[in-house]
Amino acid sequence: MVFLTVANWIRARGPDEFWRKRRIFRLAAHYTGRRRNCYSVAVRNVHRALAYATKARKLKKEDMKVLWDTRITAACEQHNITAFSLREGLGRADIMLDRKSLSDLAAWEPKTFHCLAAVAKEKLNLDNFIDGTDKKEPTGINLNLKDVMLEAWLKEKK
Amino acid sequence: MSAAKRVQQWATFARTWHIFDCKWQDPYQSAEVIKKYLMGLHKPIYHSMNDCGDVVVCINSREIALRGNDWRQRAYFHHTGYPGGATWTLAWEVHNKDPTMIIKKAVYKAMRGNLQRRHTMQRLLIYPGEEIPEDIIQNVSNQIRQLRLVPTRLDHISEEEVKKFPKVMDYPQDYVLK
Repeated sequence: MVFLTVANWIRARGPDEFWRKRRIFRLAAHYTGRRRNCYSVAVRNVHRALAYATKARKLKKEDMKVLWDTRITAACEQHNITAFSLREGLGRADIMLDRKSLSDLAAWEPKTFHCLAAVAKEKLNLDNFIDGTDKKEPTGINLNLKDVMLEAWLKEKK
Repeated sequence: MSAAKRVQQWATFARTWHIFDCKWQDPYQSAEVIKKYLMGLHKPIYHSMNDCGDVVVCINSREIALRGNDWRQRAYFHHTGYPGGATWTLAWEVHNKDPTMIIKKAVYKAMRGNLQRRHTMQRLLIYPGEEIPEDIIQNVSNQIRQLRLVPTRLDHISEEEVKKFPKVMDYPQDYVLK
């Protein structure tokens, strides 16, 4: 068949059946059983895998964001500050660090993170900002053990 | 890996043992806190594939406090798998049967259902009273803060202290105290 119109080239089936199928088989090489050996099965699975890969490019970013938030929240708790007020304080102090850098600092440079938390706290203090988002008191340096009956007991063990 | 780095690695991934006193605590709210320590969500190195969870020892689970009329109203469902095998047990019955069951189920329910959940639960030790085996208490190095203040009962305060407490007025002679 000869196409005289350029638009019809889009519908052309490609170079050669062997190479067309080979492109699919290359992508299905790590599958098992008929999924890698039979073209009709392989092409379905490859198309599905490619669709998943497209979706996952977005999901991966969301998952990483959730993970970084979890880590930052954990690190903030150690310094008796909420993740919200850390962000607010750093923003007001013009320290523009993203989630990724903050969580990396929290894991690998704990002292740097401690300083950042202190800066955020001090900035909010200067601005008279009151964090009303989270009333749950985190554990940390201000931990008050006077109401806990086990305090004396644990002390004598140490 | 140098000797110092190796020790740092051990220190980072070492399991810490926490103790939590359940006395007068809401098990469902406490479960959220206990879960955090069990799964390692309180560490900046957290990852779901990273084995960084700690051990939590719960004591005084007999003394938990449920909200409202939960003791009478909350039912725990169990199914044997056979037809007609469904049972609903009220919270007070479960608690009488096994004083550790309610806190255990609360923590189990607080975590997402995945393959890791049952292994994470292995790291939760619950004791109905204050008595803990010696080999367990000697590992404990941290105490998780209670969510609520444990109130002191008047009949648990010594009589001298009650007498010393400042009074606004004395009752009149002919006043009848119930």
